[in-house]
Amino acid sequence: MEEQNNNAPQTPPAQPPLPAAKSPARSGSAFWVKLLAALYAVSILTAYPVITRMDAARTAHPKESELTRLAGLSEKGKDAVGVVPIYGVIAQGDSSRPWDRGSQQIAKQITNMAKRKAVKAIVLDINSPGGSVGAVQEIYSAIMKAKAETHKPFIARFGEVSASGGYYVASACDQIFALPGTITGSIGVIFSVNDFAGLMKKIGMENNTIKSGKFKDIGSPTRPMTPEERKLLQGMIDDSYDQFVHAVALGRHMTVEQVKTIADGRVFTGRQASGNGLVDKLGDLQDAIDAAGLAANIGRNPRVVTQPDPFQQFFSMLDSRLSFSGTKAVTDALESAPTLEYRWYGR
Amino acid sequence: MNLFNTLGILIDRPELLGGPEAPAGLGEAGLLGYGAGTLGLFLFLRMHGAVPPGALSFAIVLVLVLALNYFMASVIHLFMDLTGARGSAGRLFGVFGLSDYLLTALVPLAFLAKLGVVGSFMSLLLCALLVIYARVRLVRRVYPVSGNKAVLSVLLPYAGLIAAGFMASVYFSVWLVWLAMGM
Repeated sequence: MEEQNNNAPQTPPAQPPLPAAKSPARSGSAFWVKLLAALYAVSILTAYPVITRMDAARTAHPKESELTRLAGLSEKGKDAVGVVPIYGVIAQGDSSRPWDRGSQQIAKQITNMAKRKAVKAIVLDINSPGGSVGAVQEIYSAIMKAKAETHKPFIARFGEVSASGGYYVASACDQIFALPGTITGSIGVIFSVNDFAGLMKKIGMENNTIKSGKFKDIGSPTRPMTPEERKLLQGMIDDSYDQFVHAVALGRHMTVEQVKTIADGRVFTGRQASGNGLVDKLGDLQDAIDAAGLAANIGRNPRVVTQPDPFQQFFSMLDSRLSFSGTKAVTDALESAPTLEYRWYGR
Repeated sequence: MNLFNTLGILIDRPELLGGPEAPAGLGEAGLLGYGAGTLGLFLFLRMHGAVPPGALSFAIVLVLVLALNYFMASVIHLFMDLTGARGSAGRLFGVFGLSDYLLTALVPLAFLAKLGVVGSFMSLLLCALLVIYARVRLVRRVYPVSGNKAVLSVLLPYAGLIAAGFMASVYFSVWLVWLAMGM
């Protein structure tokens, strides 16, 4: 080696400034480079089985990340009560995005929450005047299925308003908590449609509809409703009303007749509702969480797990900001069609 | 030319890097350096469970490393050009690849870190400092500049990236708060 190194400086005069390409002479350092390369190859070959075993160990015993812990998504640790918020008008989302706030996402949240091992009871934090019949029943169905599959207690908590569809959802729960001043009740169905015929005539506007049957444009705002249509819609409303009444009777352990005496669409305060059997206890969210803890045998003031997870919340925030909310609200209003609703319009 | 011989010659005669012509095989040796160095970094990160497995994952890391070094070589060359120093940007990109050979040390260091001999962060820091030191020395070979200017030129892109990252994180935090307040 030394000989080679000693020889190296002698070559430059013959192959001066840049003869690297033209001087294939073997370098003294080349040996060490090869040795290091060989050692590197050995270390890579050694690393491969180590990494494979580490991966297997990680898969077998997944480590909790700090983010998971912070988000309350950890399955480890003590038992918890899950809280699912149901705020605002209940309606089908206009997309299947997980961060959307439609009934399908709420139903999925309830199902996922119920499936989690650490969650021993679920509190539905309801502050809603209800919504469309289908959307309300989707959430109701998710609660009933989760109860049947997991046998976990469900507690409903009413905020400012939990009327009509909001109450329909709560009737699936084992207990209902309301504030004394909560507005609740409004058991009934509504279908409303505007009649712009007079206005259109006044401004000289005409609507031409070609239809396959006489009821195809039922609910059209461009002409008055016919008696036949009214009768047909009344039949639908009566059927939906019957479904509502039966759901309340089933959930509140009352007879259909008992429910019907208070199911004429009237609203109650929380205190009145506790007197007529629609509400079990008066209390706030913490009372409901405590009751859920007791029902699940994990005691008062249990650990609380909320949904959605932080990523869903973040995307929900983004979506609400970036969906050009003003324009979207106008579009939604223009595109809205009359539907059957379990909804209280006093708010 | 044999890559090992090229590397040996460049180690023995680093002054060739500043010559009028690029040393033969510099490009290939530099690219191999990026590959070997990124493999070392990738294995280090894999042993700490910080990156997903697979060839695609490695390819993404390699592309990121190449892009970052391309950016750095560009910025440094621009800085040198603006301050009157003459050199080759392509050659600079190549010699940065040579400096990345030092990242191969991360593989044995990962073993030592797992044995508790050295900390993982210390291992990364050590290699990063070695790479930066090597780059300063190599920049001086490619451009006829003083040591201070070479240090400044190498640290400039890092400082720029850190400043940009800091400003982006501050803006992102404010933006998040703004989003949350509008909910």
